Amino acid sequence: MKNEQAIVEALLYVSGEDGVTLEQLTEVLNMPEEHVLGVIENLKKALQNEARGLMITEVAGRYQLVTKKEMATYIERLIKAPRPATLSQAALETLAVIAYKQPVSRAEIEEVRGVKSEKALSTLMSKGLIKEVGRAEGTGRAILYGVTEAFLTHFGLKSLNELPEFSDRLDESSMEETDLFYEKFQQTVLEL
Amino acid sequence: MEYKVKIDAFEGPLDLLLHLIKKMEIDIYDIQVAEITEQYLNFIHEMKELQLDIASEYLVMAATLIEMKSRMLLPKPEPLMPDGDEVEWEEDIDPREALIQRLIEYKQYKQVAEWLKEKEERQLLFYTKPPSDLSGYEKPREIQLTGVSLYDMLAAFRHLLQKKQWDKPLHTKIQRQEIPIGERMNDILKQLKGKREPIPFDDLFLYPNRTHIVVTFLALLELMKKRAVTCVQHRNFEQILVYSADERFGEV
Repeated sequence: MKNEQAIVEALLYVSGEDGVTLEQLTEVLNMPEEHVLGVIENLKKALQNEARGLMITEVAGRYQLVTKKEMATYIERLIKAPRPATLSQAALETLAVIAYKQPVSRAEIEEVRGVKSEKALSTLMSKGLIKEVGRAEGTGRAILYGVTEAFLTHFGLKSLNELPEFSDRLDESSMEETDLFYEKFQQTVLEL
Repeated sequence: MEYKVKIDAFEGPLDLLLHLIKKMEIDIYDIQVAEITEQYLNFIHEMKELQLDIASEYLVMAATLIEMKSRMLLPKPEPLMPDGDEVEWEEDIDPREALIQRLIEYKQYKQVAEWLKEKEERQLLFYTKPPSDLSGYEKPREIQLTGVSLYDMLAAFRHLLQKKQWDKPLHTKIQRQEIPIGERMNDILKQLKGKREPIPFDDLFLYPNRTHIVVTFLALLELMKKRAVTCVQHRNFEQILVYSADERFGEV
């Protein structure tokens, strides 16, 4: 049993960010799937030990070996660089619309957001988070967009099912940031 | 003194409207059109005073709000039939309906965007590494040709041609390559010399170069004319065999 954990750990190390699927592990270990799942579970438990810096995550249907989030500060000290830039609000909104409405055209996205979304789309395309999935019927044959597997990896999602469901009850918490801005804005106006 | 305030805090007119609705503490399902229009226009005027560029989308929304407001102010026409027959009037449809729907939909996507932002920030704390380079261990794989259509092949071919076009230098000098026929004739004889066996015709054409091929062919014809070599083909389309005809013609 210990031995198999070591094998899984080594396979996860070698495959890095590509990760390994359950099928691949089953094939290499030549064991039934339930058994492999058990080995993964045990390895996960073993890694929970505070003396270990790595852990197993499951992203886009693949197992990955990643550093624990407590290690982030030390890693950043080592590479002497800040964290990579996150996506802009416009890009995140555009991505949210695509994830729920795909395949979706630019016009439909702009209809929902009420603003031009060309720039956000090209950013998302260049980051490989969305791709062209087809063309709309009818005049113009507009490009239809959909999210990629890199989308799941970027946000650490197992699948699209993990996205929150739309509820009728609206949550107000997301507006706080804009309120802060608005207060400052009004102050500025008053000072004029 | 000019104040520069970033309008970036709002992602567009819908975002601004949602903010105003919250600020005014009104129910999104029961928007007071007159009031919200006023607030919205105030904001636009403030932006103008601050000499901010106002994106056209904000102005379109302003126009929509004003139109909605005026429509709601218009008196509803009296029913034409005084007997009180139930007649459905178009005006009974709340003009706010479409805007409310858009706002609610937008708000939901905004919440998902927020959720994604949290996920993204969390994910950035996990570091991973590129997969180890195992290419040295890989066995040559058979090329899978299933699921490849004629159009895929055509596209690949066009891509290849385009790549070749790009690889071409912008300026080239064409140099004439001169191979004297006499030299090739001697080469062919050297190849044949001391061999009892004939050599296949194809073996004479070593380089896929047009000049070389033409000169070799002419040299062969010349050698045949001089009876230095004999060419034999046993059957149609069979390989032509080149025999050295006579030791006497060793040199030309």
